[in-house]
Amino acid sequence: MIQDVVWSVSIILMGCLAAVFIWVATGASAAIANYGPVIDTAYRARVWLFGLALAVLIGTNYKTVGELPYINTLPKLPAAAVQPTQVVAEQWLWTITPSTFKVGQTAEFYVTSKDVNHGFALYDPDFRIVAETQAMPGYTNVLRYTFTEPGTYQVLCLEYCGVAHHVMKAEIKVTDH
Amino acid sequence: MTMAVTAGRTAINPRAAVLAYLAVSGIVYLLMMLLGLTMRLAQAQWIDVPPNFFYVVMTMHGAGMVGIAGLSSAAVMWHFVRRYIPVSTAVFLTNLVFFLIGAVLILGAGFIGGFGAAWTFLFPLPAHSGGLWSVNAAASYLVGLIFIGVGFLLLHLDIARGILSTYGGLGAALGVKQAFGLAPAEKGPPPAVTASTMALIANILGILVGAAVLVISLVNLYVPTFTFNALAAKNLIYYFGHTFINVTIYMAVIAVYEILPVYTHRKWKTNWAFYLAWVLSTVFVLTVYTHHLLMDFAMPTWTLVAGQVISWLSGLPVLLVTAFGTLTVVYRSGLRWNPAAALVFLGVAGWAIGVIPAIADGTIAVNSVMHNTQWVPGHFHTYLLLGMVAMVLGFMTYLTNPQPRYGFAWLGYWLYLVGGVIFVIAFLLAGAASVPRRYAVHVAQWLPYDRIGSIGATVAIAGVLILVARFFVGIRTAASAQDPT
Repeated sequence: MIQDVVWSVSIILMGCLAAVFIWVATGASAAIANYGPVIDTAYRARVWLFGLALAVLIGTNYKTVGELPYINTLPKLPAAAVQPTQVVAEQWLWTITPSTFKVGQTAEFYVTSKDVNHGFALYDPDFRIVAETQAMPGYTNVLRYTFTEPGTYQVLCLEYCGVAHHVMKAEIKVTDH
Repeated sequence: MTMAVTAGRTAINPRAAVLAYLAVSGIVYLLMMLLGLTMRLAQAQWIDVPPNFFYVVMTMHGAGMVGIAGLSSAAVMWHFVRRYIPVSTAVFLTNLVFFLIGAVLILGAGFIGGFGAAWTFLFPLPAHSGGLWSVNAAASYLVGLIFIGVGFLLLHLDIARGILSTYGGLGAALGVKQAFGLAPAEKGPPPAVTASTMALIANILGILVGAAVLVISLVNLYVPTFTFNALAAKNLIYYFGHTFINVTIYMAVIAVYEILPVYTHRKWKTNWAFYLAWVLSTVFVLTVYTHHLLMDFAMPTWTLVAGQVISWLSGLPVLLVTAFGTLTVVYRSGLRWNPAAALVFLGVAGWAIGVIPAIADGTIAVNSVMHNTQWVPGHFHTYLLLGMVAMVLGFMTYLTNPQPRYGFAWLGYWLYLVGGVIFVIAFLLAGAASVPRRYAVHVAQWLPYDRIGSIGATVAIAGVLILVARFFVGIRTAASAQDPT
């Protein structure tokens, strides 16, 4: 899952950066180096690091900006291939129609709110988030998702909406036939 | 007016004023950390906190921490920038008074009025309490924020006055000519002036936007027929909120520029890259806020793509200029570590390291599955708790010059560092496991993260308690002392 990749990459990079700080910190009181040459070397290294960072930045953004979840950026699907699904949020319940799907079926959730901001978060049967959008009063956000495994998916509210925010949940059943 | 200000300057000891800021900051940081610990312990199911009170605590913790982050980092900025420009101690203290009035109104709204709409007060939630808080409680909270904002506005305007009278323009104080090679870098402004200029540009704009949405929310409370577009309100709130909290780091980092050279005996080298980084940071801070709205599909797509790209770009000045500069200043400098130097050094490390999970979250594909999970408090606590707060604690230690009590301070340092690392990693792990943020009640499978986080938070708070206590021990002599040189 994306979350596992993000965690692994982040913790490795964070660890590497921490190691650099620890290395410099532990060597700070070692034999004193002449500041001028230290700066010259550091600046040369910084040019290379800048180039590397820019390459990673351009590459990652080029790749990820091509995979947006917004409906206006997704290819149009034939009406028969999509199940329109109405999602209405209000303090503190979800109304989802319909709420049963089949594996392989693509749903387009039309998500809105009757009162305040809510967050529509779709959790798979392993209780990991697979898709999100906001539920806002006055707007309908369209979220497309294709169910890939059978089981009970849960919808949790992930935008704080008042005292019963944490109990604002609903279920979606996905069958394999 | 000029005479009154001048009289104010001579009548009030500026150093005592800074220490007053820091004394308030130390106490409020500890209290807000205890509120944070209360939430983690409740989520861990080690203590029983009713959900309605949990959300009051959450709101107070958020508002309190954002406010005190601003106040404490403003103390850092003001202390150092007044070496280079004329500023008014009376205005500086006025900001503190406005802050305290605002704090009383906010605390009253929460702990007396039961207000719990989160510190972000997303419109129209303050008016939809479900019967838990009154209109007056919500109004007290919003007016409290306005008081704090007005205080900061006055402070930044006074610094702007001082900068304009010395440098003639904000561009000159920011080092725009140096950034683009149009003037020699050696003749550029000192880092404290550059950072203060960036802070005032960003914060004045942010506070004005915040004031607009606060007034709109206030009117809506008493005149429900007066409504406002919820998405527009969200834009205004995040513009203000993002700018204000980010500027705290840019104010606090002045401590790094000023304190590390004292102990390493190396001048902080400013060149065109330094000034360019600050010019770019000014632009990025004011334009990146849409990364908070990546799941608001109704936003124009280009604004969300811009939010992602600018999030990535905004990491570069941090990592390649300030972090790199810090490493260069310290590298084999002969520095004999002391808690003040170690804390500001840690602050840069925490800031730079925290940028990594923050950039990840600012990526739309990642945000689609991690938005509003505990990954978010995970990354912002990394660069705030272990970044900005470390810089402030370093500044407090620096001012109170603690040589006779180094051992005590080192104990505080290590508890704070080790506890803080455990605390933020528990958040990040939980975020990767899809644990939502801002939940009063957690299911059984989330408890391990909450319990590890609670232990980390307890250890970190013990460390901060020691560092703050040590600050109070040294505060009396610090008022009449000189900065270490």
